[in-house]
Amino acid sequence: MNIFLHELKAYRKSTMIWTFSLVIMMVLFMSLYSSIHADAEAFLKVLKNYPEAIRNALGFNEKNFLTVVGFYSFLLSFVTLCASLQAMYLGTSIVSKEVREKTADFLLTKPVTRSQILTAKLMGAVVSLVITNMIYFAAASFMAFQFKTDDFSMKIFFLLSLTVFFVQLIFLALGMIISVIFQTIKSVLTVSLAVVFAFYFVGMFFDTSGEKVKRYFSPFKYFDTAYIIKHSSYESSFLIAGAAITILAIAASYFIYAKRDIHAV
Amino acid sequence: MDVIEIKNLTKTYGKARGISNISFNVEEGEIFGFIGPNGAGKSTTIRILLSLIYPDSGSAAIFGKDCIQFAPEIKKNIGYLPSEVFYYDNMKVKELLNYSASFYKKDCSKRMKELTDIMDLDLNKKIDDLSLGNKKKVGIVQGLLHEPKLIILDEPTSGLDPLMQQNFFELLKEENKKGATILFSSHILSEVQRLCNRVAIIKEGKIVTVEKISNLTENTYKKFKVETKAPLDATYFQISGVHNLEVKGNVTSFIFKGNINEVMKKIAGVEIMNLWIEEPDLEEIFMHYYEKEA
Repeated sequence: MNIFLHELKAYRKSTMIWTFSLVIMMVLFMSLYSSIHADAEAFLKVLKNYPEAIRNALGFNEKNFLTVVGFYSFLLSFVTLCASLQAMYLGTSIVSKEVREKTADFLLTKPVTRSQILTAKLMGAVVSLVITNMIYFAAASFMAFQFKTDDFSMKIFFLLSLTVFFVQLIFLALGMIISVIFQTIKSVLTVSLAVVFAFYFVGMFFDTSGEKVKRYFSPFKYFDTAYIIKHSSYESSFLIAGAAITILAIAASYFIYAKRDIHAV
Repeated sequence: MDVIEIKNLTKTYGKARGISNISFNVEEGEIFGFIGPNGAGKSTTIRILLSLIYPDSGSAAIFGKDCIQFAPEIKKNIGYLPSEVFYYDNMKVKELLNYSASFYKKDCSKRMKELTDIMDLDLNKKIDDLSLGNKKKVGIVQGLLHEPKLIILDEPTSGLDPLMQQNFFELLKEENKKGATILFSSHILSEVQRLCNRVAIIKEGKIVTVEKISNLTENTYKKFKVETKAPLDATYFQISGVHNLEVKGNVTSFIFKGNINEVMKKIAGVEIMNLWIEEPDLEEIFMHYYEKEA
């Protein structure tokens, strides 16, 4: 419990900054919505000029685009990208922070097991993400009600927003396994950026072809907003894939970390 | 009872680093010195004891329990001070110490207060702002605040001024009197000599010898310096038991281990101007061990 609280405190500042950034981003996009909605026809015309592949890649979906949830799901892809960075950063920090700050010796010579340490740190990171998502969701719902031009299902809005958290969990787990395997990551941010953007572009690239199988290669494509809006639910195969990756990565992290030599720095 | 039992411990990593087949025991209530030059394997051994790294073969037990299998349980009663201390920078001294204390399920506040007084430590400063010596003091307090039964120190004195070192040694002696066993690793012989009852000498990953400090210095070894009228033949004192033989003009010096009468007969056989017989300091004995191996 003490490690958990210590971690939570250590993440406090960065959690605030990330949350604030996500909210600002969402607010900026949402405030654009009303003006875009007003000029709907002109806007759609411009969109039509783009090749379909690019429209798909960017997440434009003309049928939904002018509804609140449709527009929201468009901005969600950017929110998810940033939120993934936060999660990846947290995940990568779990082990590498102790190595970088050279505090591993302090923590690991206390009467706790390594898995207790990992659990406490993981929980600290997850709770930070939960806090981020709660604040974000409250702000997003508020904005949606402010700017709504049509009635929308709160359930769909919630399901859409929740995808941010799910993608975050996947990247948290990926970050964790990376930091356990490569213990001496000097620049956590560089690694996080590289991995997240790699997946983002992979997802963008594969999405243009429309083949379902290829979507498995990028967590960013596990949650198809159009599907969620249409069915009010997630695609279970991708939900399972996401959960499997998360659980496997975390389990592997515990396993490797328990057997790892912690060398003096 | 043996607090630490190390049996045939082997660990290799990197190139020619690590330890091979190390065995020694540390008895309850003693201050045990662990000495050798940098890179000899002291830290490797200590890190295995703390289960920070895992051995390739062999085993180590603390308080009679395997130090890997029962690591968390054992660590309740271990205080560890690493050679280089780095703590969470954005914490105050007080916060760090409280965090450290929170790992032990007992009230450490009284002892913490005592220790910070002895070490003359400002609790409200940020760790980031502390000098190396003061960081070291934080390390000492966090290592001792839970009154551990076994104190493991890995080259603890670097960065401490002589006065603080004195305080620190007094503190260790006090802890020892209260029953704590101490494993003290160092490459500075004089401090080991001052503090320890027994010592293990390690070189290139192997234990060279384990002996009582008193055995090393008082009983067995004598340092001879003989000044003669005429220069001596370099081989004159070359009898068994003589080490570090050095002839400089009329002065011959060496360390002797064995029957002292043998040397006295040799000395009586020449015309001497002056004679010194001293206890050698550990450094000289140490050099002897190293030369023998080389």
